Amino acid sequence: MARTRDWLAERLPLDAIQAAIDHKTVPQHRHSFWYYLGGMTLFFFGVQVATGILLLLYYRPSATEAYDSVQFIMTRVPFGWLIRSIHSWSANLMVGAAFVHLFSVLFLKAYRKPRELTWISGMLLLFITMGFGFTGYLLPWNELAFFATRVGTDIPGAIPWVGDAIVTFLRGGPQVSGATLTRFYGIHVAVLPAMTTVLLGLHLVLVQYHGMSVPPSVEAQAARTGRPVPSMPFVPHFALRDLFGWMVALALLAGLSSYLPWELGVKADLFAAAPAGIRPEWYFLWTFQALKVMPGHVLGIEGELVAIGALSLGAIAIIVLPFLDPNTARSRRIVNWFATVAALFMVAMTMWSLMGGAE
Amino acid sequence: MIPTGAPKDQPANPGRRRAIDWLLGSWLVGVCGAVFYPVMRFLVPPEVTEAPTLSVKAGPAASLAPNSARLVPFGQTPAIVVRMKTGELRAFAGTCTHLSCTVQYRPDLEHIWCACHNGHYDLTGRNISGPPPRPLDAFEANVQGDEIVITRRT
Amino acid sequence: MTNRRRWEVLAASALWLCATLIMAGIMAGIMAGMMAEVMAEVMAGQNRAPATPAAAPQVPAVVPAAAPVDPVEAYKEDVHQQSGVTCASCHGAGAPGPIARTRIASLCASCHSNPVYMRTFRPQVRTDQHSQYLTSVHGQQMAKGETRVATCSDCHNAHGVRPVKDARSPVAPVNVAQTCARCHGDGNRMTPFGRDPAVYDDWSHSVHAAALLQRGDTSAPTCSTCHGSHGATPPGIDSVANICSTCHVREAELYQSSTKRVAFELAEQPACLTCHSNHKIVHPQDAWIDLKEPALCATCHTDDMAGAALIRTVRTGFDTLTTKFDAAKALLDRAEEAGMLVDDGRSALREATEQRVRLRVAVHAFAEAPFKESLDLGVAAADRAQQAADAAMKELNFRRRGLALATLVILGFLLTLAVKIRRLPPPTSP
Repeated sequence: MARTRDWLAERLPLDAIQAAIDHKTVPQHRHSFWYYLGGMTLFFFGVQVATGILLLLYYRPSATEAYDSVQFIMTRVPFGWLIRSIHSWSANLMVGAAFVHLFSVLFLKAYRKPRELTWISGMLLLFITMGFGFTGYLLPWNELAFFATRVGTDIPGAIPWVGDAIVTFLRGGPQVSGATLTRFYGIHVAVLPAMTTVLLGLHLVLVQYHGMSVPPSVEAQAARTGRPVPSMPFVPHFALRDLFGWMVALALLAGLSSYLPWELGVKADLFAAAPAGIRPEWYFLWTFQALKVMPGHVLGIEGELVAIGALSLGAIAIIVLPFLDPNTARSRRIVNWFATVAALFMVAMTMWSLMGGAE
Repeated sequence: MIPTGAPKDQPANPGRRRAIDWLLGSWLVGVCGAVFYPVMRFLVPPEVTEAPTLSVKAGPAASLAPNSARLVPFGQTPAIVVRMKTGELRAFAGTCTHLSCTVQYRPDLEHIWCACHNGHYDLTGRNISGPPPRPLDAFEANVQGDEIVITRRT
Repeated sequence: MTNRRRWEVLAASALWLCATLIMAGIMAGIMAGMMAEVMAEVMAGQNRAPATPAAAPQVPAVVPAAAPVDPVEAYKEDVHQQSGVTCASCHGAGAPGPIARTRIASLCASCHSNPVYMRTFRPQVRTDQHSQYLTSVHGQQMAKGETRVATCSDCHNAHGVRPVKDARSPVAPVNVAQTCARCHGDGNRMTPFGRDPAVYDDWSHSVHAAALLQRGDTSAPTCSTCHGSHGATPPGIDSVANICSTCHVREAELYQSSTKRVAFELAEQPACLTCHSNHKIVHPQDAWIDLKEPALCATCHTDDMAGAALIRTVRTGFDTLTTKFDAAKALLDRAEEAGMLVDDGRSALREATEQRVRLRVAVHAFAEAPFKESLDLGVAAADRAQQAADAAMKELNFRRRGLALATLVILGFLLTLAVKIRRLPPPTSP
């Protein structure tokens, strides 16, 4: 064992890595709980990669076979029901964890210098995650997913000049069809994972390089009392607690998959009328509802376009937030205010949509 | 993952530490087993390797005599496999297009018949007499080895 | 920080973490439940089938004889006009005036009974309509000068005649009953002749009306199917069975060789009608077969008559099969909802349903042997369905037990890990 290690150490920077791990510490203060959220998101992502790879051994990405292949997985492949349900549940939990992680970083101002790039890569990762969710949702090719995709891919059509091109590009044609399914499959298992590899790698390296950010309030308190912020070693203290959280998440996933198994629904029929109550996955509900309640025209511009514009501006603003926030006490309060309003808005819109929307 | 020998995690009682680590290791093995057992089982292909919605086995070819037929399940609905007098194999959906009774083969008439309301179908599936409004869907019938296999036409 | 404080912080963090994750899980579960409810509602909305055949179909109310239309306008759509027949062909030269009702049939027959002439329009067209009409009650009455009966123009219209195949024609299969009902559903018209005006209402509540008007099954009988169209006459007692047996072949075969036929012929009862009625033919119920009123058999049969034992056997057989079938189906539905594979069970249920249909047919043999044969097969199929359902539920419970075991293992790991974390030495601050 020791000989193997020595052989490897002569060829790989094992000692440097070992030293880095041994010396890595994590600040300990009243807000350190939120440090676990990033790792939790990563755990769910790992689960997605593993279960996703298992699923694609049996899944068939064509309009005629997709639904039947998922049914095959759920009924005939041993533990197929478990793998599929875990994949579906973990997707939702990952998006949830990602949003909590986002808001915790927002409130704890971890995007300040020198962590601007970590923030930007993280925001892009969030959009990619939602892209994973959107493309993956279509893959079972059931009625709900088919129509939700149709509605969802209609939305960019409101953008002038480039809207139709975008829609055609997304759908692989003018309508949602088997071509859309194959395209979404390629995006889901190849394009997005490639982008994630690069961005996630950057994100994680940056986190290691800069260490965990300490919130301004804790820094101020340390400055006042003269005592430095206490810290715990990453290994084993923080790592074991991280592992604890991951195991709880694993048990949660298993429980959800067994007692609330993910449904398959009815096979998509391209020529059937859309059933009432089409809606996207819950993490898109707030945008969906916001789009629905926009008035037909605002100052002469189409309501939908105004909403898309507002959302796009919001997305850009949040990506460049580190450059907009000069990190004064006042600016930090303003960011907190905006973040609270945004969070309440998203929650309220989601609740409204779940309770029937503005039908 | 749990490093040994680093100076900062030596508790007061080394014996207790070893016991905890041993227990932890055992439980971890259990957790890994609980995770990898389903994964291993998942990776082994099931007995029915493909969904029986596109094609299904319909029994041995040798035991289907000329001028006789056999009903087999195809997913959740029946299918009828007919060996014509000439020896040729034909296969159709076994659900009558009138009121969904299961059809049967009449050797005396040498075609397919539905007992519920006296519907008749010829051996191309066409509805030739009685109330059925539409022909029976036809399937491809082939012999693989000594087994008949029927496939939906896509 | 002291050890104790650290432990408190750890315990609090762990509890907080668990609580948050559990809350998240519960919220996710609630949301999933709500979404499942919505999805189920959506699916149910999609799958809600049209009203069952037993419900009264939405048959239009009896329409009195068609409101007068402008003959010239109507004639523009007439099939005769398209064949070059002019006003003068029927009305003669000069201004067209009304044609006496007693003359209408023979006027139409002057062309329609001429095979040589009709062949020039359609080679295979029938030319016996008039001779049929003369044998009908309508024709016989009209020949006696009674003009309050139907003649050609009453059913086919005088102007604006459409081919039978045209769905707008009053004599298209889906419209025939309504056309007959113009008179036969009208009490004022029927009473002078001593005829029952309830026949249309009765028929419109039958399974045949539902099949024809709701499902569009044109093989279902309407008035003309049993009574004839041109030669419309009520079927005589021995010919009723002949008519029903054109579609209900198996039942008729069994009945013909049964003791019941002999009994009914002796009692001068009209075969099928005795139990099933002629116009208001509804879905037979298993409950008809019993020895106590209001069961159908009890109309004639009592406990001490011949046939009592058979009636009891048949009724028990039906009840047994129904009970087993319902139990198996309920369990299969539950298993399927929980995500289990139920193909084998559904096949067996299908077969049980088939056998139940055959059982109801076998009743018409009025003997034990054919009935028992189907009953045994049906019960066997229902038992197989039950076995499949039981196996599916067993598998479901196996999964849940497996999950419980896995969770226990994870819990054990978590507890040990918590202890390990507690026992870690206090971190040395940098």
